[in-house]
Amino acid sequence: MELHILEHSLKVASIEKEGIQICTHGLIKLAFLASKTRCKFFSLTETPEDYTIIVDEEGFKELPQSEHISVADATWLALNVVSGGGNASSSQPIGVTKIAKSVIAPLADHNISVFMLSTYQTDFILVRERDLPMVMHTLSSEFTLLRVVNGETVAAHNLGVTNGFVKPKLVPRPIIHPLSSPSNMFCVTSLDPDTLPSVATLLMDVMFYSGGQKEPGASSEDSSHIRFFSFSLIEGYISLVMDEQTTQRFPNNVLFTSASGELWKMVRIGGQPLGFDECGIVAQISEPLATADIPAYYISTFKFDHALVPEENIQSVIGALRKRDNDHFQSYFV
Amino acid sequence: MSGSKPDILWSPHHPDRYVICDSELGLYRIGPVGSAETKAGTLPLSEETAATLLAINSDTPYMKCVAWYPKHEPECLLAVGQANGRVVLTSLGQSHNSTCKELVGKEFVPKHARQCNTLAWNPVDSNLLAAGLDKHRADFSVLIWDISSKFAPETSVAAEKIRLSSVDLDSSTVVTKPLYELGQNDACLSLCWLLRDPKLLLAGMHRNLAIFDLRNTSQKTFVNTKAIQGVTVDPHFHDRVASFFEGQVAIWDLRKFEKPVLTLTEQPKPLTKVAWCPTRTGLLATLTRDSNIIRLYDMQHTPTPIGDETEPTIIERSVQPCESQIGSFAWHPSSQNRMVVVSAANRVMTDFTVFERISLAWSSTTSLMWACGRHLYDCVEDSAEGIESMIEKDIATKMRQRAQSKYGHDTVQVWRNHLLAGGNDVQLKSLWFDLYYMKQCVEDMELKLQGNKQSVVYSGIKNIVKTSSGTAESRRCWTGSDRQTDVPRYHSEERCLALRLCGWISRGPDIDVETFLRSLEQEQEWERAAAVALFNLDIRRAIQILNKGATAEKGDLNLNVVAMALSGYTDEKSSLWREMCSSLRLQLKNPYLCIMFAFLTSEPGAYDGVLYESSVAVRDRVAFACMFLSDAQLPRYIDKLTNEMKEAGNLEGILLTGLTKDGVDLMESYVDRTGDVQTASFCMLKGSPGDVLKDPRVQSWIENYRNLLDAWRFWHKRAEFDIHRGKLDPSSKPLAQVFVSCNFCGKSISYSCSAMPHQGRGFSQYGVSGSPTKSKVTSCPGCRKPLPRCALCLMNMGTPVSNCPGTGKSDEKVGLTRENKLAQFNNWFTWCHNCRHGGHAGHMLNWFRDHTECPVSACTCKCMQLDTTGNLVPSDSS
Repeated sequence: MELHILEHSLKVASIEKEGIQICTHGLIKLAFLASKTRCKFFSLTETPEDYTIIVDEEGFKELPQSEHISVADATWLALNVVSGGGNASSSQPIGVTKIAKSVIAPLADHNISVFMLSTYQTDFILVRERDLPMVMHTLSSEFTLLRVVNGETVAAHNLGVTNGFVKPKLVPRPIIHPLSSPSNMFCVTSLDPDTLPSVATLLMDVMFYSGGQKEPGASSEDSSHIRFFSFSLIEGYISLVMDEQTTQRFPNNVLFTSASGELWKMVRIGGQPLGFDECGIVAQISEPLATADIPAYYISTFKFDHALVPEENIQSVIGALRKRDNDHFQSYFV
Repeated sequence: MSGSKPDILWSPHHPDRYVICDSELGLYRIGPVGSAETKAGTLPLSEETAATLLAINSDTPYMKCVAWYPKHEPECLLAVGQANGRVVLTSLGQSHNSTCKELVGKEFVPKHARQCNTLAWNPVDSNLLAAGLDKHRADFSVLIWDISSKFAPETSVAAEKIRLSSVDLDSSTVVTKPLYELGQNDACLSLCWLLRDPKLLLAGMHRNLAIFDLRNTSQKTFVNTKAIQGVTVDPHFHDRVASFFEGQVAIWDLRKFEKPVLTLTEQPKPLTKVAWCPTRTGLLATLTRDSNIIRLYDMQHTPTPIGDETEPTIIERSVQPCESQIGSFAWHPSSQNRMVVVSAANRVMTDFTVFERISLAWSSTTSLMWACGRHLYDCVEDSAEGIESMIEKDIATKMRQRAQSKYGHDTVQVWRNHLLAGGNDVQLKSLWFDLYYMKQCVEDMELKLQGNKQSVVYSGIKNIVKTSSGTAESRRCWTGSDRQTDVPRYHSEERCLALRLCGWISRGPDIDVETFLRSLEQEQEWERAAAVALFNLDIRRAIQILNKGATAEKGDLNLNVVAMALSGYTDEKSSLWREMCSSLRLQLKNPYLCIMFAFLTSEPGAYDGVLYESSVAVRDRVAFACMFLSDAQLPRYIDKLTNEMKEAGNLEGILLTGLTKDGVDLMESYVDRTGDVQTASFCMLKGSPGDVLKDPRVQSWIENYRNLLDAWRFWHKRAEFDIHRGKLDPSSKPLAQVFVSCNFCGKSISYSCSAMPHQGRGFSQYGVSGSPTKSKVTSCPGCRKPLPRCALCLMNMGTPVSNCPGTGKSDEKVGLTRENKLAQFNNWFTWCHNCRHGGHAGHMLNWFRDHTECPVSACTCKCMQLDTTGNLVPSDSS
């Protein structure tokens, strides 16, 4: 298997809901007018708490300075696992499940904090730039490490720092954060970049103007309904995560839907903002899922983490996670 | 629907049909503009052609790519790749026959929706349709569908999972199970089947080019590169592939797939299409975004492997088929260099033929050729007089013929050279006679002159008469008459020499023109002879000559009339005879007759009528001047005439200038006028080596003439000329530039042997000795170590070649026959300057007749091919 270290230097930022209007100028440019910027990596995820922006240095210049924006101080690099051809069957698990044991668990064992971004196309594992030597050391046994330089993939040289690495402590990982599962179902999809202009106004509506005012009918319907929307435009590929109701607003045939048209339920991790230093959170969730061979997407935001699992599997997910830490699950899983 | 970029596809089998696809598919028929004019709705494509819209198909929205079924039947079947990854078969403008009906409407649906980037039909197994899709997680991005497959039973199971209302599929026409799935976890941006094996598929993946083999799908050959878009195989050279990335095209050789064999110069804007011309080898057309030109790269001249390092040459051109920006183009599949271009907006189409570059070549002889496309044209000048005469008049043709007839090489009977030159050029005749007389004078031992005889003779009459001293004046009687003339005649050593150079008198102190007169009579130059006789004050002889001329075969009877007129000569100043003669002489057609009367009717010392009669040969006028002009008049006249000759570039003037700087000036204007460097070279070589030959102009004529001989492949003539030149100008002999040095002591072998008592000529001496009596030199004279061995016979150099015909016993008797000379050359030591292997020249020549590589084992040097002229043969058979 190959692990590609992408060349984007990424910033992770949070924009408060109240401050979104000062940022929309830049965000609209990054999302819809790609030809006007040199940004290659842009992701916007709306949660009830805030907007999380992941953007490369070129794109970061488009955002204003404001007290409404908090930026994680580290620079992040994106890793991408490419399984070489292989004769893997069509029933191969997708998302974090596939890489839980090979990437996420070893990194957790070495106390490396990761930030996950699953898209329609692939999964990005974000690590701090300063952790890179440790990451490469940790993963070099399992992967062919390749680095992307100016668009060309070249072999990455191990940085040669092997001294002073602590031996990993292989301890069981209990789930230590409260989990919750909102009631609405989600769709992970994409669309043809050429058709983006035709749905741009709709997307702007969904991104910036649909969060605040809840439709009167919907609000009373379900209190555990969560507002969650993710848009990313990475190297020309668009990925969208939205709930089923939102997909209804799009015209037919614009969104890519798989032949099976599966829907996903969310598991939300964290009661308090998780911060960026704690490691092992993704591993806590993904390992049991991998053991149970349940596919999953995983989207980290500035404050909380979100896993998406197939709706038909939600009960077995709850079961698997509960087994891991009975107490916590019982107390927090709603 | 967003405005998608238009594209064009030619029908694989109908040379007059093509499809434009943008938001819909439009089928057009192209035809001559005349026949289409009658129908409404035709679109002009060029001055001669117009297109008719036959059918429109807008059944398939969100089209991303289209591919035309390659087989004859069904003839208009198109595969359309859509934005959601589905591939739909559709058709255009034909009655749905049974084979087609079954296929049209069939859909091939990938597991996960993503854009379909490219489609490619297998050219041999036309049931196979490859589709390249965008990346979707761990899914495959290259799907190969079998269009003949019936819907698989699994689809009904899968259909249960279909929940979204938009996916209301008629399961009977939907195929969800591809025949092959390739390129997992990757994106595919371009595809093409390789022509060298229909089981091989070349795919431009996310960051690499991959070759998939359907016989073993778990293996792939790949190379990491950014240039992954628009992969396309050269239809004329199945191992050559082009692909591009942004503004740069990379050309790959599949046999050496590690890196591009070449990359073309980067364009500032991203490329949108790259296509090999199907009707012309090695022609690649490229189009960039927002451009109204198509850039062409001609790789025709790539394979010139003299060395492995030579960079292949590419000729880059641009063509502008139309004013507007180009959306796409497509080469016509069979019509030479033709393409249809569609504009980026409004679907404006243009029929366009790329004009071939014309390459032009002058041959060293008179023909001109040019090549354009597949045509080769031989150009001849069209003239009313006929081509032959035009060519014959050309100085290059003349020089070529003269070189073949050894013009310039007769060093004894120098005047004969004008006969070798064809004998019909007055100036050349005069020139070679001048040179002949000069040579004679130099050789004449009796001639007493101050200073260097040769340099005086060759300095020309102009200089000779300047030094004149002690001129004697005499008044002689008319010969055969006792009447005293009042014509003064002048004599001196120098004037005598000048007359000799003019050819009027031969050796001896007596001024006797009788020999000259007789030779003129022999050549039937009656008028001239009569004039010469008259100028020597012998009217009787002149009349006699004229009479002879009148009675001779083909003689002119009018000469008798002239003789009669002449006989009436009187020196009475105011006589009727004088009056009539001086006015009527101008009507005489022959210049010599004319000057005879001019002489008789003019006052002593005022002979302008004779001296400035330009149709009289210069030598005769000069001789006349030397006889009748005073010391004051003569140099003035000579100077004037010299300048006239120099300006006109008239070779007769060489008589005056000699082979001096003046002569070079004169020759310069002659060469400027005629281009005859051959005559100039031969003439100037006769001059003194010191001044004249060092003149850069002379050197340049000589070099140009040698180059000319080389260009004609007259190498033997060139060699003969060099030998001739070396004799006349020893300084022109090149110094030895190559020496054979001993491997052991480092001393030059030829040097040490030239120091030995019997002088040898360089190292050619080695092995020349064909006879066993002569000593052989097989070791270094300096250190006595053996010389290198011939790579073929393994004998030491210096040992003669064993089996060559010239080394028999007869050798010594016959001397240097032609065979013998060749045999000597066979013994020469030759070696390759690249690999330094060598041997006997004869052996080497034999070896390279059948081999290309060096005879030394494990040496792969292609010695003979390093010599680019080695394969040419001389065109002169000397």
